[in-house]
Amino acid sequence: MIRLALEVIDKTLRGSLRWLWHGRRGTSITRGEVVKQLYQIGNRSLLFVCVTLGFLGMVLVFQTCLQVNRITGDLSQVGAEFIKILVHEFGPSLTAMMLATRVGAGIAAEIGSMVVTEQVDALRMNGVDPVDYLIVPRFLASLVMTGALTTIGVGAAILMGALTAYYSFHVNPVVFLDPSHVHLGDLATGVMKCAAYGAAVPIVAGICGLGARGGSEGVGNATTRAVISASFVVILLDFFLSGLALFTFQRGVS
Amino acid sequence: MISFRKLFKSFGDKPVLRGVDLDVKRGEVLFIIGTSGVGKSVTIKHLVGLLRPDGGEIWLDDHRVDALDERALYDVRKKCAMVFQHATLFDSMTLVENVALPLRKHRHLGERAAEEEALRYLDMVHMRPFAHSYPAELGDGTRKRAAIARALTVGPEYVLFDEPTTGLDPVSARRIDKLIRELADGQKMTSIVVSHDLTSIFGIADRIALLYRGVVHAVGTPAEIRASGDPVVQQFIHGRSDGPMETPGF
Repeated sequence: MIRLALEVIDKTLRGSLRWLWHGRRGTSITRGEVVKQLYQIGNRSLLFVCVTLGFLGMVLVFQTCLQVNRITGDLSQVGAEFIKILVHEFGPSLTAMMLATRVGAGIAAEIGSMVVTEQVDALRMNGVDPVDYLIVPRFLASLVMTGALTTIGVGAAILMGALTAYYSFHVNPVVFLDPSHVHLGDLATGVMKCAAYGAAVPIVAGICGLGARGGSEGVGNATTRAVISASFVVILLDFFLSGLALFTFQRGVS
Repeated sequence: MISFRKLFKSFGDKPVLRGVDLDVKRGEVLFIIGTSGVGKSVTIKHLVGLLRPDGGEIWLDDHRVDALDERALYDVRKKCAMVFQHATLFDSMTLVENVALPLRKHRHLGERAAEEEALRYLDMVHMRPFAHSYPAELGDGTRKRAAIARALTVGPEYVLFDEPTTGLDPVSARRIDKLIRELADGQKMTSIVVSHDLTSIFGIADRIALLYRGVVHAVGTPAEIRASGDPVVQQFIHGRSDGPMETPGF
């Protein structure tokens, strides 16, 4: 499994760079396949991500306002801090967790069923590298769409948070929607996390799919393994990247 | 010529191949027969590098192929095409696109040239009218014929068939048999066929190898196999439930 994982990571990175540099020449990746995956990963996850982050935005703002109201009664900083933490932490991480379940499961199930029905062997027999053909388009699409979905999801969370603060605690939306606490370091942290999660989810799911053995039970196991592993990798990356950001991008920013 | 020398393969702690020795002569149709799970498909997958042996050697035309890397195996796969048990056509492509794929990848043809050539191969297996259909719209027999066309596009000298008639109606099965025989007689193609289908086996085989307990238990012409006094061979070719043959799970 470790050998497979290293092989998939190596081929995915090299295949993606080759495609970005040289286009279709020398790879099995078509532009149509990348566009299809952009749609599958991005457009088809949009509602799921927006609803989840919207509701989480409501809950977070409601609970925060409730506690702050009890202690100080000053809710003027809630919106600014909420936007800051969404940008560098909750937005990318929660979006990635959602993608780990929806997209990770889909990738592992699709590739896993191709493995057990020998379609992956057929690809190899036809001179097509399965990693190039199956994982690289999903990797490229996920990289782009994790960023896009995070941006839209953060927007949904802020909007729903602002409405909750206004209707439940009478916080003026102009006061709530204050981006002044968001520094360049927060944005850089958010972008770095989006890129890392966007890369990790399809690779982890692809490894699980390619490692599927047996029949439908094997596909089921691969899918479960993909969701658990991708979610776990997102949490691990969050921990390490947050630490890294604290000592680099966010150093000296209070 | 293909030679398997003392081939060993285990999956986890389960040994499947325990020293397979087998020679395949040029131009012949060799059937590998045996009970389910005995390692017939595993044996042929080793030849094209889809599986790696735990021990032993595989020789293809005086070149050892069992230790080649994935890139070097591309040349082996051009020489030895494989038709899989489930046809394995790609659902998102039409038949002509499926058949054109190896032409683009192995023979580096452009998209239009590959499609024209693919149509010619589909014609060979009488599948041209279905060229623009998707695999899901077709029956098993037609899908298998398209899979054979795809395998032939790389101009192989050897074709490996993994249970080509399994799941087909008798008419489609005999059409596939006829096609395999035509490839051997007309184009001098060597075929290794993994099968349980006794009608196919005794209808078109030049030689038969019976795999049992992870080794080649018996090998010979159909007449020699029929005349064999070995009780395991007799039990298998007559499909008897009672006898010395061990079958996993029974």
